[in-house]
Amino acid sequence: MDYARSETLAIKILVAGGFGVGKTTMVSAVSEIQPLHTEELLSDRSAAVDDTTGVEMKLTTTVALDFGRITLREGLWIYLFGTPGQDRFWFMWDELSIGALGAVVIADTRRLNEAFPAVDYFEQRKIPFVVTVNCFDGARRHSPEAVRKALALPEHVPVVLSDVRDRDSVKEILLTLVRHAREHAPSLTA
Amino acid sequence: MGAEEDPGPLVRMYAVTGGRARPIGEAFDVVAVVTTLGMPYEPVGLSPEHITVLRMCVRPTTVADIGVHLRLPLNITRVLLSDLRREGLVSIDRPVASAAAMNERIYQEVLNGLRTL
Repeated sequence: MDYARSETLAIKILVAGGFGVGKTTMVSAVSEIQPLHTEELLSDRSAAVDDTTGVEMKLTTTVALDFGRITLREGLWIYLFGTPGQDRFWFMWDELSIGALGAVVIADTRRLNEAFPAVDYFEQRKIPFVVTVNCFDGARRHSPEAVRKALALPEHVPVVLSDVRDRDSVKEILLTLVRHAREHAPSLTA
Repeated sequence: MGAEEDPGPLVRMYAVTGGRARPIGEAFDVVAVVTTLGMPYEPVGLSPEHITVLRMCVRPTTVADIGVHLRLPLNITRVLLSDLRREGLVSIDRPVASAAAMNERIYQEVLNGLRTL
């Protein structure tokens, strides 16, 4: 097959939110593959370099990175990356967010405050994002407007009620995000 | 290795790159698309991992998928890919933002693709 003739593009979408809020569940719901797992190595600058190994940096730990893939056609993919939840991994967000089409922030109404760091992050970097309220069984239902108010979201940021275990529900979140990104991408509005 | 302590998986991983931790040349994204341009006649200096990448990327493949396939962390994967790029054996697309590559036609294609998923 002549790949050179078709345009290849991998679109990156980030999935953020507090620990255990359903990031991996959401990725699993639409990914054509079991969420893949890779790792990035972290350097610890305070540690001495071990001369015997010849390793340039002293590497002390790894951070897990989970992602899923949706193939829209040969050469056009969406990659969903669950962002590491812990604060000390913000630097990973910096790399992942470069060139990202947008982000989904999953909020749990029982601990809405855990969505703030992600909301602030994407707002500051002008990365288009939507907030989805995961309404799984037994969770208290909130109106999107109440969530918007609680998170102090600007009017243009979409808030979607969802069940992140449900494929159609997640498709709707992604459609909302892509439409939103099309309207609000910095490159188009600049 | 005998009674010696296992140096650990990190050291083994770096053995793959000869101890190098940073890729050569222009930085590339985790979803940059890698395409094999040619197989070397004599794979001198190439590791089994390099050869695996060349076979894999006959079909254009993203950096993230290559990392998973090699079971190597992304920084190690990037070092290997930068070696192959330097040798002219692979091309690495979109060294910058994929969002910048979006246009109305691709947006439509993505929306339609998601709807019919």
